[in-house]
Amino acid sequence: MTEKWNITLRVSRQKDTENQHFDDFKMEVNPDEYVLDAVERVWAFMDRTLCYRHACHHSTCGACGMRVNGVEKLTCITPIRAVTSNGATLKVEPLRNFPVVSDLAVDMGAFYRKMEVVSARAVLPITEAEIENPATNWPQNDAQFLRLSDCLECGLCISACPVAATSPEYLGPAPLAAAQDVGIHRNPELLGIVDCEDGVWRCHSAFECTAVCPSFVDPARRIMALRTQVIGAKLGKLFGKA
Amino acid sequence: MNNQPSANKFWAWFNPMGRQVGGWAFILNRITALGLTFYLFLHLIVLNQLAQGPAAYGGFIALTENPIVKLGELLVVAAAIMHGLNGIRIIFTSFGIGVTRQKELFYGFMVVALVAILFFAARMYMG
Amino acid sequence: MTKPHAIIIGAGFTGVATAHDLALRGFDVTVVERGDICNGTSGRTHGLLHSGGRYAVKDKESAIECIDENTILRKIVPQVIEPNGGLFIAIEEGDLAYAEQFIESCEECHIQLDELTPQQALKLEPNINPKVLSAFIIPDGTFDPLRLALAFAGTAKHNGAKFRTYTEVQGLLTDGKGTVTGIKVLDRASNKSQELHADVVVNATGAWAGQITGMAGLDAPVKPTPGIMVAYDQRFVQRAINRLNVPGDGDIVLPQRRMVVVGTTSFDAENPDYIPVTDEQIKIMLDRGSELIPGIRNAKPRGIYMATRPLVGGGSGRSIARTFKCYDHKETHGIDGLVTITGGKATTLRAMAEKTADVVCAKLGVTTACVTKETPLLSYRQYYTIPN
Ligand SMILES: Cc1cc2nc3c(=O)[nH]c(=O)nc-3n(C[C@H](O)[C@H](O)[C@H](O)COP(=O)(O)OP(=O)(O)OC[C@H]3O[C@@H](n4cnc5c(N)ncnc54)[C@H](O)[C@@H]3O)c2cc1C
Ligand code: HEM
Ligand code: SF4
Ligand code: FES
Repeated sequence: MTEKWNITLRVSRQKDTENQHFDDFKMEVNPDEYVLDAVERVWAFMDRTLCYRHACHHSTCGACGMRVNGVEKLTCITPIRAVTSNGATLKVEPLRNFPVVSDLAVDMGAFYRKMEVVSARAVLPITEAEIENPATNWPQNDAQFLRLSDCLECGLCISACPVAATSPEYLGPAPLAAAQDVGIHRNPELLGIVDCEDGVWRCHSAFECTAVCPSFVDPARRIMALRTQVIGAKLGKLFGKA
Repeated sequence: MNNQPSANKFWAWFNPMGRQVGGWAFILNRITALGLTFYLFLHLIVLNQLAQGPAAYGGFIALTENPIVKLGELLVVAAAIMHGLNGIRIIFTSFGIGVTRQKELFYGFMVVALVAILFFAARMYMG
Repeated sequence: MTKPHAIIIGAGFTGVATAHDLALRGFDVTVVERGDICNGTSGRTHGLLHSGGRYAVKDKESAIECIDENTILRKIVPQVIEPNGGLFIAIEEGDLAYAEQFIESCEECHIQLDELTPQQALKLEPNINPKVLSAFIIPDGTFDPLRLALAFAGTAKHNGAKFRTYTEVQGLLTDGKGTVTGIKVLDRASNKSQELHADVVVNATGAWAGQITGMAGLDAPVKPTPGIMVAYDQRFVQRAINRLNVPGDGDIVLPQRRMVVVGTTSFDAENPDYIPVTDEQIKIMLDRGSELIPGIRNAKPRGIYMATRPLVGGGSGRSIARTFKCYDHKETHGIDGLVTITGGKATTLRAMAEKTADVVCAKLGVTTACVTKETPLLSYRQYYTIPN
């Protein structure tokens, strides 16, 4: 028998120029379902005006990021069991630091512009993915294989970053991590883009990005590694190594 | 549209809701840093007053026996210890040391900070 | 001369590809979608860039369409594709019996095919079932569903198309003589109703196509047939792994990012809005998937979800040909101004769009030719970065 829980889904609502408020939906759920399933059922059976973003339902598209009980989650892979208990209230809100389009849906424009600025890689050779899961010794000729990059461009890291909250111009975790992945040695133009006030030096090491990233990117580590790249490149310049 | 990041959100960094260990560490670091800076100014002003003469000096020394002022001093010491140790953690991670272990590093340094604070408290109140 | 105005309902693969094609042919395009891009089936598609191998034996028409489109998509949107090929593997004697027809049919459809010994197969993909009896390499691939749609939508936007997301079509406008002249919509983001007029309305709502034609009093022969997919948290393989046999349940395992996704099933449903996941279906994926890759037994599910195929034609389940249908309702029912495109596959989105745009152009006397085969798509991020 599948387990049944009764929960109250408390959903952030905001249409047009309205102020943010919350609507409660009482519902029966299977605790092994995902938070996104509950949100989708609200739309399907309870309130057809609810707006939210989603697409793949298995953590490849990065569309379903929301704050679940205050913390950034990819709702399509967050089991209800992991974030609440039977009889409790589960609060879902839109991501922070993004303009709200309606209810739970946010506008990704500014963020994707920054990903474009650093020419973030969408696909990369399998051998350049830093950590593989499982750690397998793939056959020798694997360099020919391409894979989609780890970063889903979901924006959870931007939402969780306390620096991004106060500085809209700050490039932010995912774009800086993407710059590190491309590497200044491969694209020297990146030096000017990240070595500035709103770039790699803006980070205050709160490590919130890594805490919420659902996809192994570990942006905080990559930001630190990018600082090393930047210093290396500048030292190189200083000593005339092109 | 609302919910945008903006320079007007002056206090947004201060909100501990929906943050995790690293975020709290950041908030703590900033609060202690501001506290220390505030203290530095206070300290300079007081020093300036003390230079007025022996009477002022004596009065001030008496003031330091006041338990509230003593507690204040302990807070400054505590803030300095926490900020300093946390600062060392940030310097480490900035050089790529312990980045993937930053949480443990933070807890470790804060345990050291607690021990140091208790040590100073004991000396201030008992010594 | 003013540009002809086309409204496209639905921003799934079919809708966005049609928007791209019509924008290139000089149309003023408005896409109306009740959710965000890929709100329906497209977002939740399994993600196999079909080589046609799966259909070669039973449905040559589909298979040829697939291999042609597979080749084109690799050229125009490499940014969303893991182009690593696929394996068809035989595990049991019964699978071997299928091999002969398979080889013959793939050759007929010009699907490139290389036979491997079990040792060779295991060397390429060490995590497949060690009991593999025979294997074939074919040019399958995988794609990221949302980004595939965004690349088309972003390029369309760059060429002037407008996207109205969170806008639900609630009725069709007619001129009183039966001709469709526009749509009545509810903007869900602001809760306001509005009427939009156009020279032609394209119904690209997939499994929901019948609801739109119903607004004009017409039936559309679309059958919602959902299927389940389960994503596991380890990337066991680099290539798409197919069971070498007649297409069935849970016989494809795809790598994607750090996961593998097992799919799928096929059954009939009435309401495509919400298809519940059942334990039996999850078990089928685990059982069948681990026949192909035993390690799946010890992996953790990361996402479990359902999507609904818009199958066209009679019959039920997998026996329906997977090809798409484009109806000019003037020809089918004497109702002008409305075109319905449905059926098909993600892999054939461009071809479906070409066909639909041809029908639309013929209706409005536009003679511009289709150039989407040769037009590389812009970065998928353009969809978000170009203001509406
Ligand atoms: C389980 C499964 C696995 C599949 N796997 C593969 C695969 O591996 N490879 C492959 O090539 N193909 C695959 N397919 C097929 C492919 O996913 C579909 O053919 C394709 O996604 C259909 O796209 P569409 O645009 O026609 O429909 P949809 O993506 O469903 O688009 C229709 C859109 O219309 C919108 N809409 C509906 N009603 C309204 C309204 N009233 N007003 C406004 N908008 C409305 C919906 O929100 C939706 O976004 C699979 C399908 C299924 C079900
Ligand atoms: C052991 C001594 C100290 C060390 C190692 C240290 C280290 C640091 C570091 C690494 C930072 C950067 C933190 C970040 O990136 O967010 C910082 C910030 C700061 N420090 Fe210190 N510090 C020390 C003492 C002090 C003292 C005595 C004061 C005050 C008089 C002070 C005031 C500040 C201020 C105002 C900031 C900015 C805080 C912010 O932007 O959040 N520091 N310190
Ligand atoms: S770095 Fe992680 S959290 Fe940030 S956008 Fe990429 S996947 Fe999402
Ligand atoms: S819906 Fe695609 S990542 Fe969650």
